[in-house]
Amino acid sequence: MDYREKFEMALEKVQKAPRYTGGEMNTTVKAWDETPLHFGFCFPDTYEVGMSHLGLKILYGLINRESWSLCERFFMPWTDMIELMQKEEIPLLSMESRRPLNEFDVIGFTLQYEMSYSNILAMMEMGGVPLEGTERGEKDPIVVAGGPCAFNPEPLAPFIDAFMIGDGEDVMTELNRVILRRKTEGWTREECLRELAKLEGVYVPSLYDVTYEEDGRIRAVTPNCPEAPATVKKRVVVDLNNTYYPEEIPVPYTEVIFDRIMLEIMRGCTRGCRFCQAGMLYRPVRERSLEKLTDLAEKLQEATGYEEISLSSLSSGDYTCLPELIRTLMRNMKEKRVSISLPSLRIDSVLKESLEETQQVRKTSLTFAPEAGTQRMRDVINKGVTEEDLLEKVRDAFSGGWNSVKLYFMDGLPTETEADLDGIADLARKVVGEYFAVPKDQRARGLRVTVSVSIFVPKPFTPFQWAPQDTIETVFAKTEHLKKVLNIKGVTFNWHEPYVSFMEACFARGDRRMGRVLQKAYEKGCILDGWNETFRFDKWMEAFKECGLDPAFYANREREKDEIFPWDHIDSGISKSFLWRENEKALRAETTRDCRKGCNGCGLQKWKGVCGYANAGSV
Amino acid sequence: MLAVFEKGERIRHIGHLDIQRSVQRGLRRSGLPVAYSQGFNPHILITFASALSTGACGKREIMDVTMAGDVEAEEFLEKMNRAMPPEMQLKEARAVDNKHPSLMGMVAAADYDLLIRDEAQGEKLAAALPEMMKKDQIMATRKTKTKLSECDIKPLIYSLYAEKKDGKTHLRAMMTLTERESCKPQMLLEALKAQAGIEAEVRMLVTREGLYGLNETGALAPLENM
Repeated sequence: MDYREKFEMALEKVQKAPRYTGGEMNTTVKAWDETPLHFGFCFPDTYEVGMSHLGLKILYGLINRESWSLCERFFMPWTDMIELMQKEEIPLLSMESRRPLNEFDVIGFTLQYEMSYSNILAMMEMGGVPLEGTERGEKDPIVVAGGPCAFNPEPLAPFIDAFMIGDGEDVMTELNRVILRRKTEGWTREECLRELAKLEGVYVPSLYDVTYEEDGRIRAVTPNCPEAPATVKKRVVVDLNNTYYPEEIPVPYTEVIFDRIMLEIMRGCTRGCRFCQAGMLYRPVRERSLEKLTDLAEKLQEATGYEEISLSSLSSGDYTCLPELIRTLMRNMKEKRVSISLPSLRIDSVLKESLEETQQVRKTSLTFAPEAGTQRMRDVINKGVTEEDLLEKVRDAFSGGWNSVKLYFMDGLPTETEADLDGIADLARKVVGEYFAVPKDQRARGLRVTVSVSIFVPKPFTPFQWAPQDTIETVFAKTEHLKKVLNIKGVTFNWHEPYVSFMEACFARGDRRMGRVLQKAYEKGCILDGWNETFRFDKWMEAFKECGLDPAFYANREREKDEIFPWDHIDSGISKSFLWRENEKALRAETTRDCRKGCNGCGLQKWKGVCGYANAGSV
Repeated sequence: MLAVFEKGERIRHIGHLDIQRSVQRGLRRSGLPVAYSQGFNPHILITFASALSTGACGKREIMDVTMAGDVEAEEFLEKMNRAMPPEMQLKEARAVDNKHPSLMGMVAAADYDLLIRDEAQGEKLAAALPEMMKKDQIMATRKTKTKLSECDIKPLIYSLYAEKKDGKTHLRAMMTLTERESCKPQMLLEALKAQAGIEAEVRMLVTREGLYGLNETGALAPLENM
């Protein structure tokens, strides 16, 4: 029996076969032998998570659009499937033509969150790809990775041949062209990697040497060949209207997490929230035009038949002509019975009118993210939102017929005190009060206020990249306190166990030595760490111990101003001096204005013409 | 509009609800004028003759879509086949009026092809078949969500025979399928395994070849023609 037959057999035994079958509407199966370059797109999590990801759909369409390249998808199988695959010696197969991973010329991982790293190793091993770059031979694929976590590539440096930093649309094709030449010109692996290093936005970790101080901090990161630049600049697509966006996207048979059209209305954010890594990494803010978006929505709806469109961005409320966009989309989509949803609703946007329009289709629960419970704390994190803003929006929502509100907070933020935690409860109580202030016959029945408190993870390229994370003990104590104060009628409190956030913190600011911990933990059986049922904290701690490393060094240590970070040779466009200034302002609870109100000199102004709000004269 | 469609082998593990949703999205992609239900959460007016189990392929599954305007069968077929994935293509369509009786109520039997994956097992099963059919009663276990019960499936079998195609044994069975009672392929297989003295797991590929109703004379006739 060949592996494809065995795979068919395995499908009869697994719990969720539809996540492995493929053949979905709008997927592309190109002729293998007639297409010179074969790209395996790997999403290091399950099908349901991966198929909810916009980046996958963009790159899938972009690579398949080129006559000379094809793209097939790979996902992380669930544990029951993995067991069968191991027992029957079935390799990891693509969704399209069911070919093993190691038959592809390039395999590309998207790095959306740190806790998917062990899945990368698992997928490579199941796909017959040697885990470490140094073990790969001339026949093995080039392994690349991109996405937000690529901005600190160091923990994955031993396993990934090349990282793409920043927006992927342009660099993806450039990278594929170089890898195609490896095939046509018979370049060695080494030659190919050096060529890749010449591309703007590509970081080839094997071309850099890292030295450490005795205490474990980094002394220097130095290129070891002329092709490798001292710093790798992130890629930025300046004009979104002329950047590829798919007009057809795969429609899964089985329900996935975001089973709808995602319309990326803009990229980047001008708010400058100090905890938010995406807000820094995706700068500058760039909008798609109203015409482009209405056209895309039309085409995507026709190609997919989806019932829902969500507007996707970091801060949809800031889109310049949001009310007009929503109105136009609603008008165009009403006949087709398509609803429009606004996921990352910011509470200080002028949305009342839009809210009223949303309700004509469906009343879903409203989500607000004040992030912190007191004004002082919100000023520290530069979340430019006041209590009155929030309450006003909630009041509008309740009197407009909503009964369900979700509030997102973080604990463990720098300078946090018990008063800030109590502030979360105060705010929740006031939200409940707004509901009861609406006359009984004018409000929807069955109030539901959900308060979710997640644990702050300091991230690279943010003003808090110097900050310690709360220790696990501290987090537990704070959670206990929150449980007590949030025992309010009508309020559900969701809290998180600190272990995953602790591991996330270790990887987020980890150096190359974290790669050893990763490999060790993987050998001990750690996979699918983003899932409660499979996450094994004890194994991770054993791995740290066996590697002679202290997780607290990465997670709980406060850094000095001038410490060399593992990611300092990656240029996100945001200067370290700006981030430090922001850090100092944070400690003084001083806010920084929205970039749209004037340039704050984050560093992007040095790249001429990239940021529309940049003031060249600013520091 | 009454239409015959296929559920291909590759997608046989997709459940009925997902198949329904896929057809609905296909209709939405097709641009055809479909009718929606009234109410706050309108849905496309569509019924399926019978839910096909997860794991089974279907050669001639049947659906009935209520249109919001006049559509020719050819146009329906052409537009839908452009809008549906390769594994879910339509084979026929026929305009029927709104007074067409409910498909679900009309189904009387289903024609199954059971491909036995292991040929040694296939031969044993085929050999045991005549003996089993001679018996007055064929007992099998019916599984529902809550309980197991024993029942006689002999009255539920219209016809049953074995044939060989490409060196593999196929069992062909026409069996009762109504809203009230039905004989599932797995029940038949269990009974036949018992007759053949096979205890090991038997892997089979189930394909529902077609759905049947009873015509005026009480004979089975393809449902899509009724």
